[in-house]
Amino acid sequence: MIPDIGRAAVVAGLAMSAYAIVAHVLLARGGDTRLATSGRRAVIGSFVAAGVACVAMMISLLGHDFSVRYVAENNATTTPPFIGAISLWAALEGSILFWTLLATGWAALVLHRYRGRHLALMPWVGATLASVNAFFFTVMTWPGNPFTRTAPVGAEGLGPNALLQNHPFMALHPPLLYLGYTGLAIPFAFGVAALATRRLDEEWLRVVRRWTVIPWIFLTLGIVAGAWWSYEVLGWGGYWAWDPVENAALLPWLTATAFLHSAMVAERRGGLRIWTGALVIATFVLTLVGTFLTRSGVVASVHSFTQSAIGPWFLGAIVLALAGGLTLLVWRLPDLAGGGRPSATVSRESAFLLNNVLFLGLTFAVLFGTLLPLLMLLVSGEQISVGAPWFNTVTVPMFVALLFLMGVGPALPWGGASWRTLRDRFALPLLAGVAVAGIALLLGLREPGSLGTLGLAVVVGGIMLDEVVRGARARSRGRGEDPATAAWRLATRNRRRYGGYVVHLGVLVMAVGVAVSSGLAIDRTVTLAPGDAATIGAYEVRNDRLVVEPLPDDPRVIETRAELTYDGPQSGTLATALRDYPNSQAAIATPAVRTSLGEDLYVTLLASDASSGVVTLHLFVNPLVVWIWIGGAIAGVGAIFAAWPERRAAAVTADRREPAARPAPVETAEGA
Amino acid sequence: MRWRTLRWLIVPLVVVPITALLLTGFGRDPRAPASPLIGRPAPAWSAETLEGEPIGSADLAGTPYVVNFWASWCIPACVDEHPVLASAHAEHGDRLAFVGVLFDDRPADARAFLDRYGDPGYEHVVDERGAISIDFGVIGPPETFFVDAEGIVRAKQTGPLTDDLMAEHLAAILPVGDR
Repeated sequence: MIPDIGRAAVVAGLAMSAYAIVAHVLLARGGDTRLATSGRRAVIGSFVAAGVACVAMMISLLGHDFSVRYVAENNATTTPPFIGAISLWAALEGSILFWTLLATGWAALVLHRYRGRHLALMPWVGATLASVNAFFFTVMTWPGNPFTRTAPVGAEGLGPNALLQNHPFMALHPPLLYLGYTGLAIPFAFGVAALATRRLDEEWLRVVRRWTVIPWIFLTLGIVAGAWWSYEVLGWGGYWAWDPVENAALLPWLTATAFLHSAMVAERRGGLRIWTGALVIATFVLTLVGTFLTRSGVVASVHSFTQSAIGPWFLGAIVLALAGGLTLLVWRLPDLAGGGRPSATVSRESAFLLNNVLFLGLTFAVLFGTLLPLLMLLVSGEQISVGAPWFNTVTVPMFVALLFLMGVGPALPWGGASWRTLRDRFALPLLAGVAVAGIALLLGLREPGSLGTLGLAVVVGGIMLDEVVRGARARSRGRGEDPATAAWRLATRNRRRYGGYVVHLGVLVMAVGVAVSSGLAIDRTVTLAPGDAATIGAYEVRNDRLVVEPLPDDPRVIETRAELTYDGPQSGTLATALRDYPNSQAAIATPAVRTSLGEDLYVTLLASDASSGVVTLHLFVNPLVVWIWIGGAIAGVGAIFAAWPERRAAAVTADRREPAARPAPVETAEGA
Repeated sequence: MRWRTLRWLIVPLVVVPITALLLTGFGRDPRAPASPLIGRPAPAWSAETLEGEPIGSADLAGTPYVVNFWASWCIPACVDEHPVLASAHAEHGDRLAFVGVLFDDRPADARAFLDRYGDPGYEHVVDERGAISIDFGVIGPPETFFVDAEGIVRAKQTGPLTDDLMAEHLAAILPVGDR
């Protein structure tokens, strides 16, 4: 009964999405506002339908309805309710269902928010978003039906994905990532609308920038949460392995970030407009490519995944989106061409240009590395894999160059910089950076990469601080406000600019965390009899005892647990375990991580002997890793600050239109 | 003027190669990766069945046989092909042998799988240390090899079998009169 309701909701969602496409296309061809209303309601209706389907799946999961194949494969009678609920995104069909809920939700939100506004653009936006939704409903109606029944009905299911059961982060990471992925359809829809209607002025860019920042926040947090999850769960002491699944999330992030920067040039100077349009299309296509690569089993391992029937459907969608978007772009090339070229070599524009070249380079490098196995198969029939060292060698120099630009770019004036400006703004931070790197060298930091990044971070941080202080001082002098008030007002009046600085600060913190932790981490493998101890860095770790027992809340899972005492900068006891899940071929490690602001002590159980109590442990001391997550959070907060609706939006727009009429603190008061 | 026409070439120049590249993935799976073993003698193997009886390729000399690598954790692919194997065994079991090889699996779990989904009635061997899987070059279950009466590998299926695929591959190893 419940699964039938879910199935019916999926079909209803498809019907409403199809109607919404027709209604919006008719509207674009000159229909009246009743069409707009009914089209919008159809999109909202499809969101409700997706919601009903998700609830039906949730009820089936929580009620252990093993007549539904998805439930039988991802749930067991012993599965706790929380795990049962998040199993909605544990496997392919459920993920697509959840994905559809988010995609229709974004579409409904955008159409509701802009009802009666952007009248020329919205029909196309609606038609595009409804098409994306229709695609997902189609996949669920035919090849990827989440409500497929099984007969005969088993008394017990296979239980959820073991990795999913192992850490609460799994409740957070996929939804964040999916919110980011699905949200990126919105800029694409506005891009299509602008190209189709030939309204290539500032209007669409302004809307699209906000609607790129919002999914970007989720995508960023989703990627960071995924790295954190992988660090806490997978037990190899790292957080990023350049796995195709990780790359799939990084690719649209790279192009979306490039877009956020190039759009500033397009909006302020009218340049880079073709390029900006291309980035919007590329970002959306890459979200589909990422899904295709990881969900169709083309690149990922074939283990325990059937050759999913959705692959060809996704390929069709990719080709359609790419060919459609590109055709529109080529059609409008004459309208987009031209615009300002950088007038000076050293200017804000050229910094943005270089920024985009670097982001593009990174995108190509990551895409190339991810697709190379496929390319080799096509060309020579060889099966190869591209490992982390290749990715690190190729991408790290580009990331470091971006870090440098991050400091320099925002401090450069539009149009061109004089030698004097350069000296004024950069001399002091440069000296500070060299000094800090020198001190770190004296204190014993020897790794050149870590030293360089640390120094660079100080330079970049110094330039940013100088920018904020300079702006606040000008405002406080001009208006007689105290410095703190002046700084806050300055920031809230220029959310995009100062929110952007906070994002940069977060990235800076992450960069220091990544550089120092990868340069200075130590690890060793030790085998300890009961009562024996080993040292790593400043820590001593002692093997107290080995316990093998079923988990109290799910007795089908057998846990082999080493209980340890550690002593050093932090001290206490910890337990690191291997868990044997009935439906997983390999035991799942639950590494123990003791986090502090300075360093993490990270212990994984590699092997054990139950009779003697001897354990083999992999010990790591990873300095500053926690700052990677903190940096990610800072970046998220900064982006939220930047995307927050501006007060006095009308006044700001008026300011922008008439630069001459702007009040006193000219340079820093611009929204950037 | 020429640019205005030529610019349209951008679309196919971008779309066609990307489509071709992504299509490659399909060509490979599930049927394609031709095993280097095809046309060559099957690796010799010996192991113990789930019941602890010794069995090996020498015992099957002169009989065509099907080697199916599977695991109880290989879901849903191994579940999907399970009835296909069972019905093929029921139909052709008198003329050719079927052997299941457990790929990285525990015997107890494998038995539970057979209890749940039905035991087709042929032997399953425990692949200690993965030696058989390594010799056959198995990457991940399910993979199935079709060996003829001379001991030559004639076909391989990567991914789950369907009735059609089974019939197609069996035709390569069944004695001529039975095809």
